[in-house]
Amino acid sequence: MSQMKTVAGQELRDMFAAATSWLEKSSAEIDALNVFPVPDGDTGTNMMLTMRSTMEEAFRAPDHSTAGVAGAMAKGALMGARGNSGVILSQVWRGLAQGLEGKESFTSAELARALEQAAAMAYKGVSNPVEGTMLTVMHDAAAAAKNEVENGEEDVIAVMEATVEAARNSVANTPTLLKVLREAGVVDAGGQGIYTILEGALRYLRGEVELMRLRKPQIIVSELPHMMPATPTTVVDEVPYGYCTEFMLKGEKLDTEVMKKRLVRKGESLIVVGDESAVRIHIHTLDPGNIVRWATKLGTVHQVSIRNMDEQHQDFMEMQKERIPTADTAVITVAAGDGLKDVFASLGATAVITGGQTMNPSTKDILQAVESAPSDKIILLPNNKNIILAAEQVQSLTQKQVQVVSSKTIPQGVVALLSFDYEADFMTNAHIMEHAITAVKSIEITRAVRSTKVNGLKIKRKQPIGILDGDLVAAGTSDADVLHKILAELGMEKAEVITIYHGEDIEAAEAEEISAGITEKYPNLQVEVVRGGQPYYSYIISVE
Amino acid sequence: MTVKIVTDTLSDITSDLAGELGITVVPLYVRFGDEIFKDRVDITSEEFYRRLVYEDILPSTTQPTPHDFITVYEELAKETDEILVIVVSSKLSGTYQSATQARDMIQAKCKINVVDSLTVAMGEGLIVMSALNAVKNGANLDNATEHTKKAVSRSHLIAYFDTLKYLAKGGRIGKAQGLLGSMLSVKPILTVKDGEMSPLTRVRSLSGGFDHLFGVVANAGKLESLAVEHATTPADADKMVERFSSIYPRDDIHRSVISPVIGTYAGPNALAISYLTAE
Repeated sequence: MSQMKTVAGQELRDMFAAATSWLEKSSAEIDALNVFPVPDGDTGTNMMLTMRSTMEEAFRAPDHSTAGVAGAMAKGALMGARGNSGVILSQVWRGLAQGLEGKESFTSAELARALEQAAAMAYKGVSNPVEGTMLTVMHDAAAAAKNEVENGEEDVIAVMEATVEAARNSVANTPTLLKVLREAGVVDAGGQGIYTILEGALRYLRGEVELMRLRKPQIIVSELPHMMPATPTTVVDEVPYGYCTEFMLKGEKLDTEVMKKRLVRKGESLIVVGDESAVRIHIHTLDPGNIVRWATKLGTVHQVSIRNMDEQHQDFMEMQKERIPTADTAVITVAAGDGLKDVFASLGATAVITGGQTMNPSTKDILQAVESAPSDKIILLPNNKNIILAAEQVQSLTQKQVQVVSSKTIPQGVVALLSFDYEADFMTNAHIMEHAITAVKSIEITRAVRSTKVNGLKIKRKQPIGILDGDLVAAGTSDADVLHKILAELGMEKAEVITIYHGEDIEAAEAEEISAGITEKYPNLQVEVVRGGQPYYSYIISVE
Repeated sequence: MTVKIVTDTLSDITSDLAGELGITVVPLYVRFGDEIFKDRVDITSEEFYRRLVYEDILPSTTQPTPHDFITVYEELAKETDEILVIVVSSKLSGTYQSATQARDMIQAKCKINVVDSLTVAMGEGLIVMSALNAVKNGANLDNATEHTKKAVSRSHLIAYFDTLKYLAKGGRIGKAQGLLGSMLSVKPILTVKDGEMSPLTRVRSLSGGFDHLFGVVANAGKLESLAVEHATTPADADKMVERFSSIYPRDDIHRSVISPVIGTYAGPNALAISYLTAE
């Protein structure tokens, strides 16, 4: 493919014009990603409208140099910025324009520098920057561009490719950084918007204009497990959100820093951006009148928009109703080790109480988890025979309906949770899960704490020993040796899936070796290795 | 004049079967990048699944145009004045939209009823066949429509997906969102509920999937019809038929292939079971 070493002003304009059309195609889907409370309700639409204003100004500008086009874009964005995301986006263009000041055309290195300034400017506009938002995505994208240039890349397309790729990964990562996204099971809407714009620009540079007409931008899917919100989503009704207040202030010698300081305690989500002659202000406040009145003393006020966010919230809750997962029945489980906890969370457990062998949670711990779960019907998976009793105690201590499924091991807990039937009612599910437990064999491998004789086995202190469904059945020279002894006893004809959860002291490579050993001996089995991170047991193995 | 029945390719009624039954099947479109194919007219299922697995471009699907339906209606209007159209769930595709728009646009004098099947694949196909039986037994358009609407509520579909990858990529994850992101490799079992894909449960292996599908059908009570479909693994579907033969006459079990349009989301190795409970 031919290289593109410099880009002229008109191409800059056309690439972002194409990006705007590209964004338009998915603005509704980006709107749907919104998680309340968000500063503005319709991120996709707001970004799209901001981009339209941005590009209208760019097309109006008489100066077709890079600097001229970028400057016009910055002006257009500031004039037409809508909502929180739009205002931040306008900061991006302002930073880009500063980075490209005085340029007739630009190279890959100049683009990278300008993107870096755009990202920095975006952060500056927000009084309280939050990671996991479009700020992070812009930052990551700019960093990738810089890195590519530092590696000697001169082709603007190649640099943009790296930038878009980084933006994409950054968007996918936003739920890791931001809990509200994780709970809603979506990526950040503003970040998705930034990605879509950059991707649109890249596609234009690649000459894919025709293709863009036929295709649609893809919404990035959150790769993280979808977590249940920790608190019932309906309770937030009681918190007032106030008014989303936005306007443009025109005057002379306006100082954004001074204004920011003045406004910061007047409300939330404050954004003050602009230059000496025009400033855009966005704030969530309980008293919008006060703020507008103050602003009229500094200059003339334009494009005033005051929206009642409690009303917006109502609408949002209506809209969300369908998307909120039914927390009709909540499953609470017990596990030790970060890996095992993640496994349970990823399978839909509402809460995972820390505990297990030698560290049994108290009835109080379990009760607390039950009380704070967003459901009145709770299924408990104790995953240890010593915890079952404590779990059963909870039944008489709470108003909620509680069923204890008698899972005695981690593998039993996992198969029980897996078998959860989304369509079945509470009691049916408890039965289904209880029944599912019988379909799995659990092997736990640990070290003997003292020398002893058990089940005809002579065991030395610290020797690897194997427990099958609660019974000590094997001792050997190594973990692998113990495991293979037990597998041989089990008769593996009917087994299909083996899952190996390795403990906190076991390296992944070691576990992979064990896995390879099993595959060699039982080639028809599907073997999966997962880091459990559990203490005491070097391996917990499920045979299904 | 007898009522003519029209459906779409998502019903998984193959062109051979359609010819045999005297049904008209309107194809949806499958698109890989800028290559556009008529579902199972311009692209075979085999070719589709090969490209789905080996190519980077994710296919997308589009409903038939109103014009596609107009052409079919006008053609059928030459031999009948009553047409019953049964289409894929309006929540999964805009086909219903096109079919009704076309009804309002045709010139020919012909009465046309469009029924939203609220399901897909053989879940839809079995409704079509049930409607055809009603017509064969002498039902006029209104009676056949009434019968079809009842059949919609008797139709059930359960599917085993080997992976959620394609469903997620296609953005049609909907209520199945919660199934994503599991740290273990799990195979989702999905159903169609209120016209949408909805999660049912999860299994770890194909045979676990077999057990679950079998259990659902075995507990469904008396059946009017039963269908088994595969995406890329006919042998698995045959095994499933074998298993069902203990509770349902083997020769009466319909076999078909999951349409590429659904395959876009279901991915390879998927299996689907559909049944109509008896009236």
